[in-house]
Amino acid sequence: MRPLWSFLDKFESHVCRVLLAVFVTLLFVQIVSRQIFGFSITWIEELSVILFVWFAYFGASYAARIAAHNRVGFHLNAMSREKARIVEAVGDAFWIAFNVVFIWQSIQFIGRLKPFVKAQTLGWEMRHVYLVLPIAFTLMTLRILQVNYLKLVRGIDPADPDKVSVEAALELAEDEQRAYDKGHR
Amino acid sequence: MDGHLVEILFGAFFALLILGAPITVALGVSSLAAMLYLGDNPIKMVQMAWSSVGSFPLMALPSFILAGALMEAAGLSRRLIAVAESLAGPFTGGLSAATVMACLFFGAISGSGPATTAAVGMLMIPAMVRQGYGAGYAASVTAAAGGLGIIIPPSIPMVIYGISAMGMQPPPEAIEAHGAFQSVSISKLFIAGFLPGVVMAGGLLTMNYIRCRMRGFHGSDQPLSMRTVASACYHGFWALLAPVVILGGIYSGFFTPTEAAIVAIFYTLFVGAVIYRELNLRQVIKSLDTTTWLAGRVLLVLFTATIFGRILVENDIPGVIAGGILSLTTNIYLIWAMIIGLLLIIGMFMETLAAIMILVPVMLPVAYMMGIDPIHFGIVMICTLSVGFQTPPLGENLFIASGISGISIERISVRAIPFALASVTAIFIIACFPGIALWLPRMMGY
Repeated sequence: MRPLWSFLDKFESHVCRVLLAVFVTLLFVQIVSRQIFGFSITWIEELSVILFVWFAYFGASYAARIAAHNRVGFHLNAMSREKARIVEAVGDAFWIAFNVVFIWQSIQFIGRLKPFVKAQTLGWEMRHVYLVLPIAFTLMTLRILQVNYLKLVRGIDPADPDKVSVEAALELAEDEQRAYDKGHR
Repeated sequence: MDGHLVEILFGAFFALLILGAPITVALGVSSLAAMLYLGDNPIKMVQMAWSSVGSFPLMALPSFILAGALMEAAGLSRRLIAVAESLAGPFTGGLSAATVMACLFFGAISGSGPATTAAVGMLMIPAMVRQGYGAGYAASVTAAAGGLGIIIPPSIPMVIYGISAMGMQPPPEAIEAHGAFQSVSISKLFIAGFLPGVVMAGGLLTMNYIRCRMRGFHGSDQPLSMRTVASACYHGFWALLAPVVILGGIYSGFFTPTEAAIVAIFYTLFVGAVIYRELNLRQVIKSLDTTTWLAGRVLLVLFTATIFGRILVENDIPGVIAGGILSLTTNIYLIWAMIIGLLLIIGMFMETLAAIMILVPVMLPVAYMMGIDPIHFGIVMICTLSVGFQTPPLGENLFIASGISGISIERISVRAIPFALASVTAIFIIACFPGIALWLPRMMGY
């Protein structure tokens, strides 16, 4: 069970890395084929934009899982963690309410899209392409609940997003320094 | 304008921010409340969720974040900084000046302030401490210069400003009063940012010279040697070529910014894996992972900020703000002072990209009404917000400089105040002389 849970816990991250790698590679193929071979593959631009939007909303859900969405939180830092957790949870309740409205509206919207509304070059039905919106926002809502469960019930705070990025930057710089030293000594 | 719209929109926005809701939620919920109040159908949001994010120029955002992360992992940044370090020599404050130069160079491959501070600081802060500079001074000069990373193109905030400003047409009254305005494009911003970046660096270098002179920080005993410089350039050849490829490609019109970022990614993968052999699969996956959540959170704010901005513009709220300011004063310098002061304060409390997305729909129409060029306005906005990186409570560069040097954030931020003043002076110069930002793009035919 363990590997399955850890896979599900980072599900959006896995999806996003694949989407990112694919659309970046597609665009590179497009540049090479246009600049070097002199012809452009028409469907690449449209497909990569679609993959990019999917990437954006799954990425937003992943950012919700690691509690990376920026808050203006200097006054929260002055409170005790127990108090701040409750205040943040109230803020998150509004987030969930917004998501529920959005998911409902997007299902309505998709329901009204006719099958002949298609992506111009790919020919995909737009109602299928748009399905990512309710799916990603549902996942995001589950992630908000998960983070608040961890905070309120289990008492585990996710790492501060600013500190995470600082630590990530430092870690990367250290890794890099080590690799460089290894190559030069 | 509708009765209580402003109160509902801004009241809900600030109330949610104070509640500690994420910025994106404050924007989304307040917009939704305003829509319900105005009797709009919220189904409009769904179309906006797609159209706000699904644009080709915006793909430059994740691409530049990924390129920057890869360049660091691949060892390009390390070599670029070594070139700047070799230029330090025996001058007063030479090594700290080299730190500013390193940030300037590094800004030409990276679009992010904290990344610049981390990469440059890891190398230069210990080097400065070894040469007898105070650790607090070393940390503060790095934190201050790290902000150059977002002014020297390529720049992620410029991508966001460009995207936000492209959707905003100048109001007809403004065109009537000041003539037609030029259109906004990310390429144009990238060219326009270059000279202002040099002016900002000049301000920091001047302040650095004065302070090092007063404190008696001398250069090293060895004279400037052409050999070390040449050797650093030789070792850093492929790294030095990266900004040439990125900026050269954009400036010559060969690539769009998005394409330049994509080329930079594959250039880095090639150099890192084949030439330097420092890049492995684990680091690539880590870079992809960081890009994912950084881009995800920015793009979600972009979606909600688009709804928010649309409501503002549809109800002519920026027009009312502009009218209010114009009734106070029509002196352009006073107006600039008000804009810069406001941006400095907002930059202290809010994340840079979120601040740009929220402020462009509010402030750009005001700028149009004053006859300020949109490119010039964007450059001043980004320069001013870059100062926020070195001011508490939300100064990302401070956190990083403190992490590297072990000096407390409070001490570094006090030491950084003179640099902040130098930067603000440079910003006023850039604001008062539009030519600094606008001359280069005009010369290059944009």
